[in-house]
Amino acid sequence: MVVFLGFANLLLTISCNLIIYLFEQVMSMKFDTSGLESHHGMLFGARDELSSGLSAAPSFDIPNSNDFDCFQKEAIQMVKPAKGTTTLAFIFKEASQSVKKIIEINPYMLGTMAGGAADCQFWHRNLGIKCRLHELANKRRISVTGASKLLANILYNYRGMGLSVGTMIAGWDETGPGLYYVDSEGGRLKGTRFSVGSGSPYAYGVLDNGYRYDMSVEEAAELARRSIYHATFRDGASGGVASVYYVGPNGWKKLSGDDVAELHYSYYPVEPAVVEQEMVET
Amino acid sequence: MECVFGLVGKGFALVVADTSAVNSILVHKSNEDKIMILDSHKLMGASGEAGDRAQFTEYIQKNVALYQFRNGIPLTTAAAANFTRGELATALRKSPYMVNIILAGYDKETGPSLYYIDYIASLHKVDKAAFGYGSYFSLSMMDRHYHSNMTLEEAVDLVDKCIMEIRSRLVVAPPNFVIKIVDQDGAREYAWRESIKDAAHISTA
Amino acid sequence: MSRRYDSRTTIFSPEGRLYQVEYAMEAIGNAGTAIGILSKDGVVLVGEKKVTSKLLQTSTSTEKMYKIDDHVACAVAGIMSDANILINTARVQAQRYTYAYQEPMPVEQLVQSLCDTKQGYTQFGGLRPFGVSFLFAGWDKNYGFQLYMSDPSGNYGGWKAAAIGANSQAAQSMLKQDYKDDITREEAVQLVLKVLSKTMDSTSLTSDKLELAEVFLSSGKVKYQLHHHMTTTSTTEQEGKKRRKRAEICGPMQSTLLSPLWASEKVKDVIQYKPIYS
Repeated sequence: MVVFLGFANLLLTISCNLIIYLFEQVMSMKFDTSGLESHHGMLFGARDELSSGLSAAPSFDIPNSNDFDCFQKEAIQMVKPAKGTTTLAFIFKEASQSVKKIIEINPYMLGTMAGGAADCQFWHRNLGIKCRLHELANKRRISVTGASKLLANILYNYRGMGLSVGTMIAGWDETGPGLYYVDSEGGRLKGTRFSVGSGSPYAYGVLDNGYRYDMSVEEAAELARRSIYHATFRDGASGGVASVYYVGPNGWKKLSGDDVAELHYSYYPVEPAVVEQEMVET
Repeated sequence: MECVFGLVGKGFALVVADTSAVNSILVHKSNEDKIMILDSHKLMGASGEAGDRAQFTEYIQKNVALYQFRNGIPLTTAAAANFTRGELATALRKSPYMVNIILAGYDKETGPSLYYIDYIASLHKVDKAAFGYGSYFSLSMMDRHYHSNMTLEEAVDLVDKCIMEIRSRLVVAPPNFVIKIVDQDGAREYAWRESIKDAAHISTA
Repeated sequence: MSRRYDSRTTIFSPEGRLYQVEYAMEAIGNAGTAIGILSKDGVVLVGEKKVTSKLLQTSTSTEKMYKIDDHVACAVAGIMSDANILINTARVQAQRYTYAYQEPMPVEQLVQSLCDTKQGYTQFGGLRPFGVSFLFAGWDKNYGFQLYMSDPSGNYGGWKAAAIGANSQAAQSMLKQDYKDDITREEAVQLVLKVLSKTMDSTSLTSDKLELAEVFLSSGKVKYQLHHHMTTTSTTEQEGKKRRKRAEICGPMQSTLLSPLWASEKVKDVIQYKPIYS
């Protein structure tokens, strides 16, 4: 079975930053019309000519900015931060779970999100569509192997273009539980235990230590939760809600969703400090 | 860090690769097979960026298979090596593949052979080859102990020497290795050299 | 008349025929004959030149024989302007293959790639099929010596002996009778000339009407030797002896007298072959 666990932390904050950022870009472009007018037509005209004659390498339109180097740097900064996330997933005897940074691809398959939130969300939804179409065309659900390859191939085609995705695809298919790690650098690994995101080394520490294949669902869920908790504790960028999903033969089920701050106090309750000496005004 | 090497012996060629899947300081997996079996008598050991490695070797494998379907005859090892080099070369100035390749094969007419192909698309037919950080240790080790017409036992002995040296001298040494060979009976996995077991070996049932 | 189905190649007639393709084959029936024989130690091609004029400068180019690559040659029958296009694509294909794989292109693959081109012209609109048949002679390491015949439809096949062009039916049936499986290259040359002389329209088989090409192995390497535009010169006794046998048959002769002449040693003036590629 697959235990799938993830962690949601600064998701909202990140999204807000994104919107504000884009807005600023738009503003600056509006103001800066002088140098751009002539550039504009030339730039895109030249591009069209080029692309019609050549089978060009994958590309996208050059942003309408007069300081491209700066824009590029900022744009990468904008989508790049792999910090602020911890996700993990593992296969064990009985089941699987995950958290809010988890996207439900279909009732039998989940994907975790780390890296650019928009990129992850978009491509997971895109994958969801492709999986459903596969189901309609072939009258059977897509395998986890197939789905992860689909995603990996798409991401590979966009390599070098700034996508930032680190994901695990976990699910249940005809062959049983399946777990793959896929990233925007084109990597795709089959495995039994992964953790992705800035807090992942911390999570691995706890996870590797506590992992046994023959765990019960409860044990697995607790291990996953604890791993995420400890990761968020040490990783300054991670935090928020630790949700645990489980994927079994009958699809996924959400088991829990806990605020890590509350988890902290349940794991380490505050002990009333003994006052050794009262300050006395003399 | 990555170690891929290979050598030619008497009637066979062999390729060795580490099996670590690494992302910056993190080891995601220590049983990742980096030696692809291209066709019945060819092995392709690859190092480089994870995505490029997997995509490129699979691309070559599929093209070699397509050739065989179309023409009813397999590509010779030399032809496959030159084809691979060509593909790397055409991609080099567009969207380069960051992969280094050791291609081993066995042909009826020419016997075993080994080709060294790097990511900037240079091709050499060699007796022994290595890529990655492990090459600093394995190359000298092979230079010292290699001789032509090595038996399988001698060759595996040498491979183990290389692995031992890498494990003891390389700071970022990978724990596990896989050894594959190709001879007149075909290409196959020969052995694993593991110092860490990767998680639990689960049955897919 | 069925004018409706023969003006476009892409359309089948109600009887399931492609008239344009059949007409193309018809055109080849008027072309000079070419015959090929596969022997155990080589392949022999011979062709009858139709264009013969005293004014024509033929010493530098061939009419029916073309070398495609170091290991493949072909004989042509049909419209030469069409053939030139195909020969060029074949040569390009062969070079592309060596560029990709650094080894010679297997013969059948070369034939197939050319026939794929031919096929395309029988299917796609607004085009006319190539009015050309080919005999391909070649050697590769997988299947050794090979002989292929192709027609305008894009069909091809491997043959032990084959003929294209005028009277190819007659030539084919003669070959069927006289071909033996263990034929040597030397015997194949004789057979190929015998068949050609009997099936040719003109009564005499003269050297200026012939092109003869051989593909064989010489010290492990594939060799293509072409004999054409033979001139009569005297040669020394020892040099001449070897060549004589084959040379005699190329001299002016009556087809009916062919066989006795082959064995004779009487001819003093030996026709010297001028190999252009060797």
